[in-house]
Amino acid sequence: MSGPTNKPGGEATATLLRPAVAFLRGLRGGLARGVSPFEALAGAGVALPGDARGALDAAISRLEGDYAEDEWGYDEGFADAVFPLLELMYERWWRVRAIGVPNVPAHGRALLVANHAGVLPWDATMIATAILREHPLPRATRFLVLRWAFEMPWLSIAVRRLGGVVASPYNAVRLLEEDELVAVFPEGARGIGKAWSERYRLQRFGRGGFVEIALRTGAPIVPVAVVGSEEIYPKIADVRPLARLIGAPYFPITPTFPALGPLGVIPLPSRWQIEFGEPIETASYGPDAADDRRLVLELSERVRSEIQDSLLRGVFERGSPFV
Amino acid sequence: MAGRRVLVTGVSSYLGSEIARSLAADPEIEHVIGLDERPPRERLREVEFVEADIRGGELGEMLPRAGVDTVIHNKIVRRPGPRLSARAAHEINVIGTLELLAACERAASVAAIVIRGSAGIYGAEPDAPQFFSEELARLYPLRTRFQRDVGEIENLFDAFARRNRDVICTMLRYQPAIGPSLNTQITQYLAPALVPTPLGFDPRIQLVHEYDAVGATLAAVHNPVRGAVNVAGPGTIGLSRLVRRAGRSALPVPAVLFDTATATARRFGGARVSPDLRRLLRYGRAVDLTRLTQEVGFRPRFSTPDAVEDWVRAKGGRRLVTAVGELLPGR
Repeated sequence: MSGPTNKPGGEATATLLRPAVAFLRGLRGGLARGVSPFEALAGAGVALPGDARGALDAAISRLEGDYAEDEWGYDEGFADAVFPLLELMYERWWRVRAIGVPNVPAHGRALLVANHAGVLPWDATMIATAILREHPLPRATRFLVLRWAFEMPWLSIAVRRLGGVVASPYNAVRLLEEDELVAVFPEGARGIGKAWSERYRLQRFGRGGFVEIALRTGAPIVPVAVVGSEEIYPKIADVRPLARLIGAPYFPITPTFPALGPLGVIPLPSRWQIEFGEPIETASYGPDAADDRRLVLELSERVRSEIQDSLLRGVFERGSPFV
Repeated sequence: MAGRRVLVTGVSSYLGSEIARSLAADPEIEHVIGLDERPPRERLREVEFVEADIRGGELGEMLPRAGVDTVIHNKIVRRPGPRLSARAAHEINVIGTLELLAACERAASVAAIVIRGSAGIYGAEPDAPQFFSEELARLYPLRTRFQRDVGEIENLFDAFARRNRDVICTMLRYQPAIGPSLNTQITQYLAPALVPTPLGFDPRIQLVHEYDAVGATLAAVHNPVRGAVNVAGPGTIGLSRLVRRAGRSALPVPAVLFDTATATARRFGGARVSPDLRRLLRYGRAVDLTRLTQEVGFRPRFSTPDAVEDWVRAKGGRRLVTAVGELLPGR
C-alpha cells in the first residue's frame, strides 16, 4: 500500500500542491486571454483531480441556472448534493437498521404508509435514504408534507427540492398515476405534535383518505414502521400562542429548543429501526371501491394495526433508545 | 365549417394582432374583424379594423350585420399599468365582457365564443394542488382585485353558457406569457440586474410562450370545446432558476420588506409588482394540461423551461457571468 501518507513529508505536500498551482496558472492564463471568469475557471479546472473538477463544473452550471428540475420541483442535483449528509445521519447519527426493504416494489406505483413523529420531517428523509441505500433497485421517494412546511421560509425550498409535495389527495393521485413511489403519513399534524407520553402510540389515521387514493390508482400499500423518530425532539410542552403567532400547528418545547436557539434544531441521536412490511395489494378491488366506506375503513384499520404491531415489536427489539 | 367569420376584441395588443393575422391567413376563415379602442401598431392585412370601445354598444348591431359566427374575447387587462387604474381595468374586464356577452346573446349568428381568460383565478397558495385541473377553480377565496375580476368574468360566462346551450363557450385560462415580443409583468420584473425575490421561498413558476399563447386560441377556434381549458407550457421552473437563466442576480428580501424592495427596484427600471404577482412569487402555481392536449388537441411547442430559454436567447441581454467578468480588475 503506497499512498501519499507513506511518502516523505515534502513529497506529499508536492502532490497536493501541484494541481493547485496548475489550476491557478490555468486560471490566470484564461483570464489573460480575455475569456469570461467562469469560462476561465472551467478551463483551469482541467488541472484539478477528477472529484474537484466535477464539483467545480457542477457549481458553475448551478450558478448559471443550468440544472434540471422536474415539473414537481424535485431537483435531482440538490438531492444528490445533500445525500451524503442524509447518509451520515442514517449511518452514524441514528445508526438506522432497515428491515424488509425489498418489500418496496422496484417498479411502478406504490404507497408507503408510515407513522409520523419528530416535528421536522426527518422520518421521510430516512425512509427515502433507506430505499436508496439498501434496495436492490434504488429509487427516489416522493413524500407528502403538511402545508405549513410550504409556508416556512427555506424549509419550503428544501422540502420541494428533495421531492416533497403538499399533502393533498390531488397530488397523491397524480404522482401515483405517474408510477412514482409515494410516502404518506396519515397521522399528519397529530403525529408530529404528540407529547412524549404518547410516543409509539399511533394516532387516528384521518378518514382513511390514503386508502381511497390507493384504491383509486390501484397502488399497493406498504406499511412502514419507524422506531426512533419519537426520541429526536422529545416534546415536553407546547406553547399554543407562539404557534399561532408564527402560523405553525404547534410550538414545541424540547430539552434543547428553544433553550439552545438554532442548535435546538439538531435532533437527538436516538437509535432507529425502519421496518417495511409486506405490500397490501389493492388493484383487485377496482377503482370504484374507493367509494366503499366500509372497505376503506377496514383497510385503513388493517394498515394501522400492522404498523402499530411492528412498532411495538421494533421498540422491544431495539432496546435502549440512545446507546 | 368553411367560410367562418371571426371577431377579435383587443386586437391592438400584441397577442390580439397575432391571433387576427393568423386567422386572416387561414383558408377556413372567410373574414376577420378586429375591434379595439386604438388602431394596432402596424396595419393588419386582410383584417377589417373597427375602432370602437367594447362597452360602447355598437357591437349589438354590428355582430348580426357582419354575420360573425365566432367571437374571440381578448380584451382582458392582466395588470393595471401606469396609465390604467385598477378601477379602469375592472371596467374594461367586467363591464366589457358583460356588454360583449349581451351583444352575443342577441346576435343569432354567433355559434362559438372563446375567452382568453387567466389561470390567476386559481390563486397562488402554499397548500394548493401541485397542478390545478379545471374543476378546482374555486378551492380558495379570490384574494386580489384581478382575481375577483376574473371570477366575475367566469361567472358571467358560465351564466351565458347555461342560457345559450347552442353557443359553444370556451374559457381559456392562461398562465402568464413570456416571449421575445412581449412586454409583460414577468419580463419587466426580470429586467433589473438585481431582482428582488421573497427570502426563503423558491416557488414553481409556469409560463406560456407567446407562440403557444396564439396557437392555443387558434386551436380552440378550430376545435371548440365547452367550459374551461388551462393553457401553459408543460413543466415548471423554479423562481431562482428563472432569475439565473435570465442572467440576473436574485436579491432575497424578507416578506415585510418586499414591497419596499420592489418599489426601489421600480425606480431602477424594475416592474410594478401587482398583488397577484407577489403571491405568485411566494407560492407559485402550475396547471394540469390534460384538457388542452387531449380535448382541444393542442400540444404546446415550448415547455416552460424552453419558453424561458427562447426568451433569454432572443433578449440577448448580459448574462450574470459576463457582468461579473467586467467587474474584475485589469479588463
